[in-house]
Order: sequence, then C-alpha cells, then structure tokens
Amino acid sequence: MKTLFAIAAAMLSLGSAFAPAWAESPAELLKSIDDRLSIPDMRFEIRVTSFEDGKQKDYNRMWGFVKASETKDSRILLYFAEPASVKGRKMLMDGNIVYLLFPRTRNPIRLSPLQVLLGEASNGDVARTDFSKDYDVASLADADLDGDPCHLFKLNAKEDKKDSTYRSISLWVEKSKQRPIYAEFFASDGKLLKKAYYKDYGPAEGKDFPYTMEIYDGENPKKHTTMTYTKIGRLVVRDTVFSRDYLEAWTPEAPK
Amino acid sequence: MKAHLALIATLALVPASLATGLETEATLDALSTADLGQEGGTSMQTEATRLLAQVAASHKQSFGEGLSLSGTFWADADSLPSGSPLQTPTDKLKLTSRLLELGLEWEALPGQLIVDVGKKIIHPSSGFFKAPLNLLSRGSASGLIPTTGAAVSTWEEGWVGADIAYLTGNVTIANFLSPRLEWSDSADRTLQYLSQRQDGFNDLLRFGLRVGEADLRFLALTSSGGPGSENSDLRLCLGAGADTNVGDSLTLRAECSVADSRDRLAVVDEKLLASQDESVAWAPRALAGFTWTGPKELSVMAEYYYNGLGLVGSDYARLIRYSSNRLTAPDVRAPDVLDQFGGFEAARHYGFARVAGKLEDDLAPALFSVVNLQDRSGMTGANLTYSRDAWALSGSIVDYWGGKDTEAGLSPLLWQIDLQLSLFF
Repeated sequence: MKTLFAIAAAMLSLGSAFAPAWAESPAELLKSIDDRLSIPDMRFEIRVTSFEDGKQKDYNRMWGFVKASETKDSRILLYFAEPASVKGRKMLMDGNIVYLLFPRTRNPIRLSPLQVLLGEASNGDVARTDFSKDYDVASLADADLDGDPCHLFKLNAKEDKKDSTYRSISLWVEKSKQRPIYAEFFASDGKLLKKAYYKDYGPAEGKDFPYTMEIYDGENPKKHTTMTYTKIGRLVVRDTVFSRDYLEAWTPEAPK
Repeated sequence: MKAHLALIATLALVPASLATGLETEATLDALSTADLGQEGGTSMQTEATRLLAQVAASHKQSFGEGLSLSGTFWADADSLPSGSPLQTPTDKLKLTSRLLELGLEWEALPGQLIVDVGKKIIHPSSGFFKAPLNLLSRGSASGLIPTTGAAVSTWEEGWVGADIAYLTGNVTIANFLSPRLEWSDSADRTLQYLSQRQDGFNDLLRFGLRVGEADLRFLALTSSGGPGSENSDLRLCLGAGADTNVGDSLTLRAECSVADSRDRLAVVDEKLLASQDESVAWAPRALAGFTWTGPKELSVMAEYYYNGLGLVGSDYARLIRYSSNRLTAPDVRAPDVLDQFGGFEAARHYGFARVAGKLEDDLAPALFSVVNLQDRSGMTGANLTYSRDAWALSGSIVDYWGGKDTEAGLSPLLWQIDLQLSLFF
C-alpha cells in the first residue's frame, strides 16, 4: 500500500498558479518559479515506478485531475488504472484529508496523513510541495550544479506548516530558464530525507513542465522512484467534484 | 441456469471498448470448518471442507452528457451453501448468480446534481466490525462471513430504487426511495434474478456536512409495508455519524442509529424453553473507534460497539441458560433465540481490536479479536496475505472461544481455516 499512497500523493504539480509574471524579491522570484510548474485544472495520466538495487519493485498507472487554488490547498482526484490488483480504486486528496474508495464499496475510507506519507510515500510529499506557499526563503545565493549556473534557495517551513515532513529545502533553479532542476529535502534535525531531480522539461498547456521526477531516498540511495507524466491536459470541473460524496459517482475517463 | 449462462456469455462478449474499464475479481476459497451439533442431546463435533468460487465483474460506462450506466454481476459455485457442516447439501455444487447492482446515473448538473435509478448499495457507515449506519443492508451474497472481522462483505446485493443527490461542496443532501417489490417465490424467476424481494417501501434521507476536518452524517430511514401489507405501520430509524483526523496518525469515528421499534424473540421460561415476541422501542446501536498508523505501515484499530437491542444482566443470563438448555434438550423444536441476533449481537457491549502491518512489500499479516465484554467470550483471527500485481494468496484462521455459558461458547461454529486465492483482471 505504501507505494500506492506514494503514487497518490505524487500527482500534484508544484506551486501556485497565481504567481506574478515578474518577480524581484527572493519570495516573488520563488513564486514565479512555482508558476512554471503549475497547470491550473490539470488533467493527467502518470506512471510511477519504484526501484531498489536497480530492480523494479512496483509500478502503477493512474489518471485524474488537480484543482489548484490561491486560498486553499490543492485538491486531487485520482483513479488507479494499473496494476489489476488496485484497478478501480479512487482517491480524493484535499489538503491533509484523504479518502480512498475501493471498487464495489460505497463509503470512502478516511486515511491519516501518515498513511499517505509512510515510507517511500513521502516521495509524494516531495512532489506536492508548494514551495512559495509552504516555505519562506531563508537565503538566496548563486551556485553551480553540474556546470549550470543556478539560484540556490534555502527554504524553511512557514510558521503554520511547521509540522510538515520536510522542515527545510535546498532548491537549485537553473538561471537561464528559471526552472527547478534539483532539490534536497531535510527533516527538522537536519537529516537529508529525499533528493529530487526534475527532468524532461517540455511544453504542456503553455507551461514549461517537468514530465519526469526522480526521487532518491536520502538514507538509501539504492531506493528511488520515477514519476513520469504521460498525458497532460486541462479540464475545468466544478469544485463539488472534489468532495467525498462525489467519489462514488465519478466516472473516470482516461485523458486523451 | 439458462439465465446464468446467458449472462456469463454476455459478459464474455463485452466489446473491447467496454472491457478496458471492466474491473473483474475472482476468488477461490477452500474453507475447513468445524461446527458443534447435537444428536439426541449429545454434543458432536462435525468438520467439513467448503469450496467456494466467486467471480464479480463491474463496469461503469459513460455515454456523455453526464449519463452513465454501471453494474456488477456476481456468480458463485458453492459446495456448502449453508456454511455449516451440520447442513450438507444434496447437490455437489450449488451455482448462483445475481446482479448485485445495475443503475443508470445522470449528472443533471455535472458534479452537483446526480440522479441514479436502478439497483444500488448504500453504505454510509465508517465502522469496521459493526456498521450501525448501514440501515439498508442485505449481507454477503454468498453467505460467507468475512474472515477479516469486517462487518461488510466484499459482495453484497443492492436495493432497487431511485436516488437523488445534491452536492454543494461542504454539504450533501441525498434521498433514496425504494419501492415494495413482491415477487412470488415460485414464479417470476427473472424478476427474482434482478432483485430479491423488497417487502416494504423504504425512504432513506442522507445529509452530509464537512465542518473543519470532520465529516458529519445524518440519516433518516422511513419504512412501511404500505397499504394492504401485513405491516403497514410507518417505522422510523434515525442515525448520525462523524469521522475526523487527529494529528498525522490517528483517525477517529463514531456513529449511532436508533429505531422507533424493533421486534425480537424474548425468553419467557428458560427451563421450559418458552419464548414470545416482543417489541423494543428506541434501542440505540452505537460505535466508536479509531485507527492509528505507526511506522512501517503498522496500523492498530479498536472499536467499541453498544448494542441497545442486545440483552444485559439477568435477561442476558436467562438467554444464555435458555440456549444452553436448548442444546442439551432431546427435542430442539424450540426457537433458537440466540441465533436471531446474528453473530455477536446478543449482548449489549462488544470490543474489537485489529493489528496489521507489513513484513515485506508484498507480505501483510493481520491479527484481530472480537470480545463480548459481558461474558468475556469472543472470536480471534489471524490472516497472512501475499500480494502480487494480478493475484493474492491469503490464509486465515478464525477461532471461537469462551465457556459453555457464553455467547461464543454456544456458537455452533468452533473454528474455520480459509485459504483464498484472488485473481484480478
């Protein structure tokens, strides 16, 4: 189940969709970078593969919607398409509140945030981080990464997000294209929990979007997860679709 | 039988476009079970092996414009349909098939106003081992008691009716109206195939509300046999429930339902094995519980169940004595008063605990126990599941324990071992 929840959490693109086009302060710059990753009302299909010691451990395919909001946490509606053992499951993520509906059952189960974030599932948290919404910029410096000139942001969780899994983040942003290429996620005691690479940037709904994320375990680099978006589009749906009682009624259709 | 074959053939011919969204699951259970029976006033243990193969296929097909058709077809082949070695069947295998659900759904206002006509299951309860809010429930289609301790079985038949739901985001109002369907037992086999009889009218009004991180639910079920029926009085059942998160690792749930009147059989004289009907007004059923999640996917669940319809004190003691006397009586034509309650429903106070985790990514053990808190009897089960992408193999053992003067001790079921193979398509 842990990979299942990892996958569930991993759907969310980063950042807020409402950043200004031009930024000057570090906070504004971070917000504009978030904006490059975010597609409002995103419809997607994603494949998530987990590896250990170079061997594939798990694979899932799913599709769904993301609804971003300036004032609320982003909400995600997910349908699990593969493998057959999880096919038909539907999930709603509304901030910390997560519901899972099993096929042929009628009452969604409420999951605790830890159930979503357990083990490798904290990969999901890496993918769902709203940098500018959840973190303050502690410092901004110049740094090189593999020869690429970068902005290096040091981020600390905002006061109301102090219970986040990741208390601080180091984020490398490619200067030439203003897009994240690498991040390190730390616990409150400074321990490195995750390393994330943002790859395969390409056009998606007018944005320059990272189609692939590779996430490595901070303690065990032999464990990593690859999340690849295979289809991205836009679909505006009503807010009421992102409610517990709609899960049962939802007729999932694969994005074209 | 012809109808079964026709439906199976129809499923096999599902067009490829439909088949992509078809969710199919098949299970094969090999159950070894032991029951305690009576012969001439003497107790005798009887063991049997039950083979049960079940298959269920579900599909939801969208036709555009907010219209969709969904259904679940289920079939089983059972070597021991009664579930008890004390009642062996004449046939080697009993074949059954049924439409568990079949409905046409229309989103009149997309994502907001949903009309659903057909046969559907409504399970608002969040309870695991008991479900006081599942006011309309038929139980397992196969009659197989889940060996996981869960109240709700995997496959259950729905109710025919019309449901309308209005969603506003934080508030949902829904109403399900189910008519009386009185097929004759001997005729109208096709109708019986589509649905079991529905002896009365039922109207289930549901109101859901999100307050902060808590989900609240309120239900009102109005039932009546209607004019001309044996029971034409209007009966009311009310329910309320809530669930929420506390911190990162805890989910809490609580729910309660109460009916204006419930009929039951009461013991008049336990020595003479005499009983009579009685009606109980406003007897509440309530459940409170939590699930805690720990490291390495460890989860601990505990629930307390208050059963207002159950007995306590001297009434409970008389029920137990009656059942005990009935077991040793040479003539057992006296009604089984204990059995009318169902499994772990005769007393007023019950507890449930379950611990589950993962040994490896694909190996998951679970241990659970149901305890009658009044007479300290109960049931304990252990389960180990090995899961792969397209199949799962699960082994379970369930043991009933308690003295001869306890609810579980008087249960004919002594123990059960279940080896289950599940295939997913």
